[in-house]
Parts: sequence; structure tokens; C-alpha cells
Amino acid sequence: MGWLTKDFETAPCEVEVSHRFDSLHAHVKFLNGAVINPGDEVQVQGPPVMAPYGEIVREQRIARITRASKLEQLWTRMTGDFEFMELCEFSFSEEVAL
Amino acid sequence: MKDMTHSADAATVEEALAADNHQGIVDSEGATALAMQNTLLTPRFYTTDFDEMDAIDVSPVRKDWDTLIDQMKSDPNKGHFKKNEDWDHVDWDGMEPKLKREFIDFLVSSCTAEFSGCVLYKEMKRRGNNEDIVTLFQLMARDEARHAGFINDALREAGIAVNLGFLTQKKKYTYFRPKFIYYATYLSEKIGYARYITIYRHLEANPELRFHPIFKWFREWCNDEFSHGEAFALLMKTDPKLTSGVNVLWIKFFLTAVYSTMYVRDHQRPAFHAALGVDPDWYAHEVFTKTSTISKQVFPITLDIDHPRWQPGLVALQRANADLDRAKKAGNPIKRLTASMRAAAAFVGLLTIPAIKHQVPASTRLEPAY
Repeated sequence: MGWLTKDFETAPCEVEVSHRFDSLHAHVKFLNGAVINPGDEVQVQGPPVMAPYGEIVREQRIARITRASKLEQLWTRMTGDFEFMELCEFSFSEEVAL
Repeated sequence: MKDMTHSADAATVEEALAADNHQGIVDSEGATALAMQNTLLTPRFYTTDFDEMDAIDVSPVRKDWDTLIDQMKSDPNKGHFKKNEDWDHVDWDGMEPKLKREFIDFLVSSCTAEFSGCVLYKEMKRRGNNEDIVTLFQLMARDEARHAGFINDALREAGIAVNLGFLTQKKKYTYFRPKFIYYATYLSEKIGYARYITIYRHLEANPELRFHPIFKWFREWCNDEFSHGEAFALLMKTDPKLTSGVNVLWIKFFLTAVYSTMYVRDHQRPAFHAALGVDPDWYAHEVFTKTSTISKQVFPITLDIDHPRWQPGLVALQRANADLDRAKKAGNPIKRLTASMRAAAAFVGLLTIPAIKHQVPASTRLEPAY
């Protein structure tokens, strides 16, 4: 990892999308133990994984990981905290008028 | 029984045209179904210091911890999130358009929040090695996914399908220190409890104002939020440093930010509150009072919400925020700047109100009592 350069890598992953009444969730699990660090970007390759209503879909895919540069990682570590309001639930979007 | 295919679930136009709901649509209900809006859920993705979280030792609060985890494992709300005969018909077509927009904003935002919570907790579960912590996050992820599924169903009735296709879009992982996650999530869960239970009790007394059946599910729903808050309270209790010294300033900052954001956002949804017969000022005060009483379990301070500067400060912040939005839309940089400065000044004004100090009890455990 360079100070200013981004690296790319791919990792096999399992995508699980549940569109069921008892659970609405979507997760990506890396199968090669790849670890995501602050500032990294992840994109699952291929068409969107669509689970029809009432079903759960598991697919093996390839994920492309864009590794943040050292500088970006430091920056994300320093500034990520300021976005903490994202963690809070307020029932409504921030749109002032709908 | 397999569900009928629906155009809202289709990935392509061809699939949508072939969906069951697309056949022979002549009535307005069918037309609504066809026009089902597709809302892409956009949860956020976070990382944190997973080693630090793994190092948490719950021994000092072991007894309370085990009780809470056992209670969550027994899953008292497992059968609750089902639609039964209490789920009465919703007249979406007859709903006043402004109310409908605000109510849908409520459903979509709540669904996204539950969904994001699920993503965060699942990530912590997956990256952790500490058995206690992993178990907790797994249980919380379960609850959040269940709530999201329940809200999703209400959205489908309204003709809105959530799209979970975001995984194939590029997503960036931001970073929070573990203690920021504790403060923010603890408060979010507890204020969520206070918000839901206040509406639930209000509608219990005024059932004619309940314009959608989902409010009947609020009590059990918020009991889950309450338990999650309990877990974060215990986590903070494992390390006294988290709630003392300079961290008290962080706690004050978080309390002020969360309370004032709630105030501003609620005041932006007048039709929703009018339909429920709820005055947002009364509601805010009620929710803050409950949240402050609960948060005494772990935070050594509470905000002085009866201070003479508190309410005017909130009003000033809300007005500045509305003006800022108008200035942004009008593309007026001067007004934008002045409104931003007014908002910042109002927030600093709230932040400088002296907090109320008190003793924190040795054991944190509380049961939902409102």
C-alpha cells in the first residue's frame, strides 16, 4: 500500500440477500479471509443480486476491493467519527421538505 | 406457498411485464401495483477497531450480561412480528397526499436504519473473536433484520418495493472508534424506545388517531430497542474510563446532537404529527425526559432540558436549518452562509447550557417501564 496510490484486488465472496418477511438483510462474506480497512471500497461484480419477495438468495461472486492509499486510510480514521450521526435513527430522512 | 411474482421484484423490464400482477390490470389498485416505486436501500458501511472490541471483558458485569443475553436468546418477540387480525386495512388511496409522503418517508427511513444496524452488527459479529461480543451482535442483527422485514412488508402494501441491489454498487467503508459506536448506538436505541413508546401510549389513549396498524406493533418493537440499549450500557460499564473525564464532554456532545437532530427532523414532518394528534414540541420534551431518565443508568450527566435557553435554542436551530434549505434550493450563497452560521451558533448555544450531574448506580440494568 502506497501513501498516495490505490491498490486493487479481487476476492471470492458469498453474497446472501434475504427478502423475507422475517428477515430483510444483505451481507457479503469474503471467502479468502480478505479484511476491509477504513477507506477501502468494495464492489461485488456482476448483475445486482435480486431476491424475489419471500426468498433468500445465496450466490458465490467475485468482489473487487479498492484499497485506500495510506493517506486516505489515515484521513478516514481521523474524520470518520464526524459522521457518527449516521449511526443514529431518527425515523425521518434529513430532507427538510418532501 | 410460493408468493406470486410481482413487477416490483423484477430485475428487468421483461420480467416485470411477465409478473403476475401485470395481467389484465383495469382497476386503480392494479394500476398502483404496476406503478410500484422502486426504492434502493442505501445502507452505510463501517469499520471500527475490532481488536479493541475483542479485548472487552464483560466479567465486571457478568451476572447482568448473562441475564440479558439469555433473555435475548429466548427471543420473546419471535412470534410478534407477524401480521394478524389486528393488521387492519390501510386506505392508501384515501390518505391525504402530504401525510402519505411523510409517512412513507418514515417507513423508508426506519427500514433503512434497521437495515444499516443489521449490516453494522453483522460485520462486528463476523470480525470479532470474543464469544460474548459475537453472541450479542448476532442477536441484535437478528432483531434489526426482523424489524426491517416487517417495515418492508408495510411498504409493499403502500406500493413501494425496496431494492437490495446495492451490493453490486461501489461502497466505501468509513471508520468509527468503538466508543463513538457505543455512545451513538446506545442513545439511538434508547431514544428510539422513548419515541416509539410515547406514540404507542398516546395512541392507546386515542385509538381513533391511529391511521396505520403498524403503530400497534410499536411496544414490542421498542422493547427490542430497549434491550439493545441495555447491552450497550453494560459494554460501557465494563470500562469506567468511557463515562468519565474528557469522555463526559463527548457524552454531552452526543446527547445535544441527538436531541437537537430529533427536534429538527420531527418539525420537518408536520402532517405526520398532526395526523397522530401529537404536538412535536410536547413530543420532543416527553421523549427527552424519558431518555434522560433512562440514560442516568450509565451517563453521569443529563441535559438540562428545562433550562430557559434550551427550547429557544432548538427553535433557532430548526429555523436556521429550514432557511439553509431554502437558500440551498434558491442557490443563494450569502443566505446559505448566514443560515449555516446561525445554525452553528444555535448548536453551540445548546451545547454550552450547563449539564446536570448525578451519581450513576452500580448496576445498570433496567426494564422497560413506560
